[in-house]
Amino acid sequence: MRRLGGVGLAAFERQQQSQRSFAELSSELSKAQVEHLHAQMDHFRSALVRFATTHRDKIRKDPAFRHAFQRMCASIGVDPLAGPRKGGWWAEVLNLGDWQYELGVQIVDVCVSTRERNGGLIEMGELVRLVTRLRAVEQGSITEEDVIRSIKTLKPLGAGYEVIDVGGGKKMVRSVVKELDEDQAVVLAIAQDEGGRVSEELLVVRRGWAVERARAALENMLLRDGLCWLDEQDESGSPAYWVPSAMHWDE
Amino acid sequence: MSAPTLAPRTTPSGYLLPSIHSAPPFFTQQPNPNTQAVVTEHWTKLILSYARHRRLFMLRVEDAEVAGNDWDEILRNEQIHRRLLPSHLEHIITDMVEKNRAVYEPARQTRSVLLYWRTPEEWAEVLHGWADATGQLNTILTFYEIIEPPVPSQLSGIPMTLLRKAISVLAKTSRAQIISVADGEGVRLLPGNSSR
Repeated sequence: MRRLGGVGLAAFERQQQSQRSFAELSSELSKAQVEHLHAQMDHFRSALVRFATTHRDKIRKDPAFRHAFQRMCASIGVDPLAGPRKGGWWAEVLNLGDWQYELGVQIVDVCVSTRERNGGLIEMGELVRLVTRLRAVEQGSITEEDVIRSIKTLKPLGAGYEVIDVGGGKKMVRSVVKELDEDQAVVLAIAQDEGGRVSEELLVVRRGWAVERARAALENMLLRDGLCWLDEQDESGSPAYWVPSAMHWDE
Repeated sequence: MSAPTLAPRTTPSGYLLPSIHSAPPFFTQQPNPNTQAVVTEHWTKLILSYARHRRLFMLRVEDAEVAGNDWDEILRNEQIHRRLLPSHLEHIITDMVEKNRAVYEPARQTRSVLLYWRTPEEWAEVLHGWADATGQLNTILTFYEIIEPPVPSQLSGIPMTLLRKAISVLAKTSRAQIISVADGEGVRLLPGNSSR
C-alpha cells in the first residue's frame, strides 16, 4: 500500500515533522482567532451593557420593551440570568436580578396561599392577575413571560415549581411535586373550557373516552391528588367534578 | 350552565357571602380528607361570621333539613340550587366542637350546638367592660338584668349557659362573685385587672 510521503523511517519522520508544523500553525491561528473573538466579545459586551444601562428604566418598566430586549439577548446566545455573580448579568447591569427574585417570592406567595383551594395547580392568567394585585402595580406590567422566567430562577430550590402546557394556548403552574399524567392534562384542558366543571359524560362525549377511563382519571384527581372537588348535587343527576384552579373566582 | 363567575354576594339580611358560597361543590362533603378539611374550615368561618352578623347562638342539624329558619341564607344557595346536607352539617359541627369553636348544647347529644363566635373568655371581657362602662361594678345584677338590660347591649339575648361560662371565667380571677338573690341567681362584678 502506498502511503502519503513515501515509505520508510525517513518518510515517517518527515510526516511527524509536518504534523508538528501544522499543529503549531493551527494553535497560532486559533490563538489569534480566540484573541480576536475575545476582543469582539468585550466590545459587544460593553455595547450591550451601555445599551442596557441607557435603557434600564425602560427595560424595568415596559413589558414590551423588556420582551424585545430578552429576545435580542436570546437570539445572540446571551442568557441574562447566567453570569459570574449571584443573580447573573441582570443583577449586575440592570439590577433586574432582585426584581426577578422578588417576583419569584411573590409567585411562591400566591401559589402557597391559593394551594388549599386549588390543590397546588393555578391557571397562568390567574397567577399573573394575583401577582399583579400583590404588587399593586398597573395591569400589564407583569407578563406571563416574566412569570415563566422567575419560575426558572426558582428551580434550584427544588420546590417543584413548573409550568405546564395544557393545550389550547393555556398554561398552568404547578407548585407541588406531583406527576401529572396525560389524561389529567386532558381533564384540565376541558375544565378550562368549562369554567371548572368536568364530568365523565363530558370526557366520553368530547374525547371519546371509555367511561372507565374517564372515571379513573377523575377519581385519581379527586382522591389521590386533591386537584378537584366533587359535586353530588349536579343538575345532570350524576356527580360532577370541579377544578378550582380552572374556576372563575372574582374576589 | 357552565362557567359561572364566583363572586361575593350580599344577602337580604345584609350579609356579604364569600365567593366560595357560589361554588357548586362547596355544598358536597368531599371524599378527600385534605379537601374536606379546607371545606370544613370555610364553612366554620362562614357559620361563625354569619352567626355574629345575625346574633345567632344556636345551630342545629335540623336547620339543614327543612327550609324556613334563620340559617337559610347560608345553608342554601337557591341561585345554584345547592344546599348543605344534614350529614355534612353534622360533620362540620363535630369538627367545630373538637376545635372549641362551639359546644354541644344541651350536653350529651350531637345535633345541636352553642356557637362560640365569641369564646367564653371574650364574653367575660365584654361583660366586665359593659358593667364598668355603665357604672354597675360592685352592684348586684341578676342574670335577667344582664340578658335583657333596659338599654340594649352586646349581651342582650346571650344564652344563659354562655353567660354562666363568662361569669365563671371572671370568678377565677376574682372579678365576679356569684350571689343568691330572691328570684334566682345574681352576680357582683368587681373591678380588677382586665389583662390578668
